[in-house]
Amino acid sequence: MSGPLVQILDGNTFVVSDDRGDIEASLTDPTGLFSFDTRFLSKWVLTIDGQKLNPLSMDDLNYFETRFFLVPGTGTVYVDSKLSVIRQRAVGNGFHEELTILNHEDQPVELTVRIDAECDFADLFEVKDALEKKGTYETSVDSGELVLGYKRETFGRRTKISSSSPGRIDEHGITFELRIDPHGKWTTELDVVTALLLSGVTHERTKHDTNGRRRKSVMETNLERWLEEAPRVECDWDSLKSTYRRSLVDLAALRFSPPIAGGRSLPAAGLPWFMTMFGRDSIFTSLQALPFTPELAATTLRALGDWQGTRVDDFRDEDPGRILHELRYGELPAFEERPHSPYFGTADATPLYVVLLDEYERWTGDTRLVRDVEQEARAALNWIDEYADLMGNGYISYKRRNEETGLENQCWKDSWDSISYRDGRLPGFPRATCELQGYAFDAKMRGARLARRVWKDTTLADRLEKEAAALKRRFNRDFWVEDGEYFALALDPDGNQVDALSSNNGHLLWSGIVDKSKAKAVARHLLGPRLFSGWGVRTLAGGEARYNPIGYHVGTVWPFDTSFIAWGLRRYGFKEEAAQLAAGILDAAEFFEGRLPEAFGGYERSVTRYPVQYPTACSPQAWSTGAPLLLLRTMLGLEPIGEHLVIDPALPAGIGHLEVLDIPGCWGRVDAFARGRVDVRSGRGLRPQLGSTTAMQSERSR
Amino acid sequence: MVDATSQFFEELGHRGHEPLLQKTRGTLQVDLVNGKETEHWLVSVDKGDIDVSHRDGKADCTVRTRRELFDGLARGEVNAMAAMLRGTLGVEGDFELLVLFQRLFPGPQDATARAKP
Repeated sequence: MSGPLVQILDGNTFVVSDDRGDIEASLTDPTGLFSFDTRFLSKWVLTIDGQKLNPLSMDDLNYFETRFFLVPGTGTVYVDSKLSVIRQRAVGNGFHEELTILNHEDQPVELTVRIDAECDFADLFEVKDALEKKGTYETSVDSGELVLGYKRETFGRRTKISSSSPGRIDEHGITFELRIDPHGKWTTELDVVTALLLSGVTHERTKHDTNGRRRKSVMETNLERWLEEAPRVECDWDSLKSTYRRSLVDLAALRFSPPIAGGRSLPAAGLPWFMTMFGRDSIFTSLQALPFTPELAATTLRALGDWQGTRVDDFRDEDPGRILHELRYGELPAFEERPHSPYFGTADATPLYVVLLDEYERWTGDTRLVRDVEQEARAALNWIDEYADLMGNGYISYKRRNEETGLENQCWKDSWDSISYRDGRLPGFPRATCELQGYAFDAKMRGARLARRVWKDTTLADRLEKEAAALKRRFNRDFWVEDGEYFALALDPDGNQVDALSSNNGHLLWSGIVDKSKAKAVARHLLGPRLFSGWGVRTLAGGEARYNPIGYHVGTVWPFDTSFIAWGLRRYGFKEEAAQLAAGILDAAEFFEGRLPEAFGGYERSVTRYPVQYPTACSPQAWSTGAPLLLLRTMLGLEPIGEHLVIDPALPAGIGHLEVLDIPGCWGRVDAFARGRVDVRSGRGLRPQLGSTTAMQSERSR
Repeated sequence: MVDATSQFFEELGHRGHEPLLQKTRGTLQVDLVNGKETEHWLVSVDKGDIDVSHRDGKADCTVRTRRELFDGLARGEVNAMAAMLRGTLGVEGDFELLVLFQRLFPGPQDATARAKP
């Protein structure tokens, strides 16, 4: 494998290759052509006269299209080549590759061009966990096509490879014997088509736009429209404008149209492993994007509503009313060796579903959708009390029933060591993490508003408000760590506090469950030296036994997390502090050229001077892509109130002016303007650093 | 003895109204293959109102499978989505309708979670 990995994608179909465009995957290596959670090509290697090519340059034309410029030769020093090779690849259903060879000589050349192709049909889970295949492979050459196939009982997947120029097809690839005239060129178009065999019927996925070029132009138009319809951002800080544009383009790339959505899209979670519907990720990203692309929320609500749990199923951790965690289409879920058909093991997606529904209605005024999913929203509210209170103490808690392949931690910090006491011990199960109680509180308050306003059920509204008030009272008593003045990370099975200080406190502000009298102390922690790195809020505070600046959920900074914390700070009136978090994350975005990774190191900003990317962070990741969008909202203080959009800006030092134009909502389209205290000096790349642990300015903001 | 499939459809027909399909409209045809014979069930849903018949009519979504497998669905032993991914349950037409309809299948008998008493 040479050079960096290149990813291009369309929905849940994507190609990961090296910088020559070659694919040479092993069972554990994530390169290949993937579709519906299955690898459809594990080898795709171009050679000329038996030699691999060298990359000269590579253009990402679009998120679905890349062009590779290559030359023959093996040396490290570039020698004038007599040949140029251009590979232009577009992902559609499968992919389409235009291969062009130019002869720069005065003499004709004779060449043997070869594409080697193979496929292991690995399920994404097998690639992650290096599992062996149980079915059989069949390869055939049939009417000018190379057909790679895999079969296990009734489960079948197939890859068909064909070329527009005649070549010699064998079971391992295609060979072209060429003669190219002086200064002439040769071109062929290669098509790789994926097919699912369902109940004896082959479902090929390229047939609406068989011609790769036509397909491409449809996608181009689609992307242009997406960008045109989104609000415009004007700012004296160029980096923010490019981060915004990068976010919009990445969000377009991460759109995923599940088979039930009639062509409409919702945000998938991230590349390469997570191009599917996730309850939590799709909801958080839809919330972040609401002021910009509210249609994502609508599709998320409809699709997750359709798939809502209706029965008790231990293998899938399903309960009536529960919103799914993850849906997969590969071989392992098909044979129930993994539970993702769909898997329901998440404790936060269900209350967050109601939160998103209410926030969506407040922005769009779309009461029709609120009526359409009334039953699902009621069932979700019911789940909180009837199925999620595993300890009988009035709190949502989780404990997987699928002990083998279910998820241990069913909150967003889902790695094994994410929930710990100060001294590093891990609590038993069930675990009632604090943010879940915040979400439950918010879901009840918002559910009450919807019940009153849309469902016309005041009895339900009254009951929910009463329950919410009681929950808030209990929560502020049971979770408050007196000697630290913050909320505990969780309650353990004995009802004791899991007392580590964590970023979850910020989600509590966002939910509104925090007593006003405690908010200032919480905000002080969030901006204080143990949690705030200068770039964002650490998942776990420095000084806790398990703190590690590059520990996945125990010290790294997650841009999505910080964006919701900024929203939480705004909710309690801490405008300056919210602006400071926005500044940190948006500064970091500049280092990542506008594309924030899933997580980066929790190192002190003043020490590293640049944000250190978490080693295996997945990118682009939907809720990281959504973070700058939510931060634009919090900086401008956008809040829908009735049919109006209230604007109450607080910009971080260093941004002179900020405008977001044509914000869609029930008010039609409106513009939001903000002026800052300091103008950016022109010609400067970065704004002045805001410092890692500047003293809190809560006095000013209250 | 009444088999699981017949029992499932008969109960559904008697219920007349199914709250889980309150917002659903459409017709689902179920073709069950048993040896050389194919048995047809047609379920029409109109905002939760359900009509079950043996007509072989035009449907928004057609599901085709072995009768034996459908018995498993009706008993809560087989999961519809997994069966579809395996290729043992064929679907044509509006897939969303099947996703909604599968709400009506029972869960596994051995499930341990319970709602609060």
